[in-house]
Amino acid sequence: MEFHFDWSVFFESIPMLMRGVKFTIVITLGGLSLGFFLGAFIGLMKLARHAFPRSAAITYIEAIRGTPMLVQAMFLYYGVPMALGIRIPPLTAGIIIIAVNSGAYIAEIVRGAVQSIDPGQTEAGRSIGLTRSQTMLYIVWPQAFKRMIPPLGNQFIISLKDTSLLMVIGVGELLRTGQEIVAVNFKAFEVYLAVAVVYLAMTLSIAKGLRMVENHLDMKTTR
Amino acid sequence: MEMIKIINLHKSYGDLEVIKGIDLDIKSGEVVCIIGPSGSGKSTVLRCINRLETPTSGRIIVDGKDIMDPDTDINHVRTEAGMVFQQFNLFPHMTVLNNVTLGPVKVRKMLRSDADKLGLELLEKVGLADKARSYPDQLSGGQKQRVAIARALSLKPKVILFDEPTSALDPELVGEVLEVMRQLASEGMTMVVVTHEMGFAKDVADRVIFIDSGVIQEDNNPGDFFSNPKNPRLRDFLGKVA
Repeated sequence: MEFHFDWSVFFESIPMLMRGVKFTIVITLGGLSLGFFLGAFIGLMKLARHAFPRSAAITYIEAIRGTPMLVQAMFLYYGVPMALGIRIPPLTAGIIIIAVNSGAYIAEIVRGAVQSIDPGQTEAGRSIGLTRSQTMLYIVWPQAFKRMIPPLGNQFIISLKDTSLLMVIGVGELLRTGQEIVAVNFKAFEVYLAVAVVYLAMTLSIAKGLRMVENHLDMKTTR
Repeated sequence: MEMIKIINLHKSYGDLEVIKGIDLDIKSGEVVCIIGPSGSGKSTVLRCINRLETPTSGRIIVDGKDIMDPDTDINHVRTEAGMVFQQFNLFPHMTVLNNVTLGPVKVRKMLRSDADKLGLELLEKVGLADKARSYPDQLSGGQKQRVAIARALSLKPKVILFDEPTSALDPELVGEVLEVMRQLASEGMTMVVVTHEMGFAKDVADRVIFIDSGVIQEDNNPGDFFSNPKNPRLRDFLGKVA
């Protein structure tokens, strides 16, 4: 049988995929918002004076970075409910997985950015009588946050693509929606190509938005 | 009255002992310059006074408060002992005015309008009121250091610690910073100045101290310090720098 690319299938599948796009966006934004707070918390824990929070942070980061997200998703969605006797809805599970997973990477981004700030800044803050946390809040964090933006944008793109793995726990995100369409029309080439194009459109938009934020910040202050 | 009293100060980094027993009294209103070769421990002594470095042993009393006492609020002590750094350490993400008002607003809980008024007065004092809305990166080194002095003054400290304030400056910018420091000295501010500026020490200091190998080798009035040094190491040092 000769392969024939069917443009109409390609174009018709795109509106149908939007249902999945909605979930992909909700999970990415929800997961990353939580993941940012989690990552900021864990990242600062890794810089703590005491050994206990430091080793807790390291354990978390190593455990998450050292295991596949697919395994984390299966474990949380199928494993944890068996142990706890609860049921987690797929969308909630998806958001938690993205948060927990991106949190480990964001923690390292936060730690690196905070550590990259000249210790003289902290000394100057402490020398005018600011407490440790005031110095972090008013002096170190605002400068560090600016340095976090490019790697955070990168993580944003990675997490968005990672949501496709959540099809295994039955979240109706973009890839799963594509799979459902293929199950009906068997046009795998056209439909998966459309899926890829939609992912690409989203990641390129993030990259573009990120450049705009960076330019805006560059204009606002000189450093 | 003693503003700062240092008793048998020792400081080690691992096995390396940098300060090997220093005793020093500084009276209110005194200008004390500390000179010495690099690595002699002179900056470390200064940084122990506001506990940016934690002494290994010994006692330091600042304005009647023992900084090693766990009951002492070190943040309060730091408002009484301002510091000016070699590398300025201005906050690059804040305007010049906000650099100066951050302490008054966040530490003293001063109203923004009062803090701005104070900040502008202090910038006026160091000759930079017109730069209030600029960012530190738009200033020259000398201007940055003058802003840093205004920032150190913002909490109305009783003493200011200067850690090589002109060492990072281009030679032509040193004068404007020393001028501000002379003015402060003439107003009766207690100042401890780690410096390589012999001219400043000679003209402005009430006492000059020579630290080498972690101990005070000479503690004298500037006249005798420079023209009639007793310590052989100091004679050697002055011979090299003069």
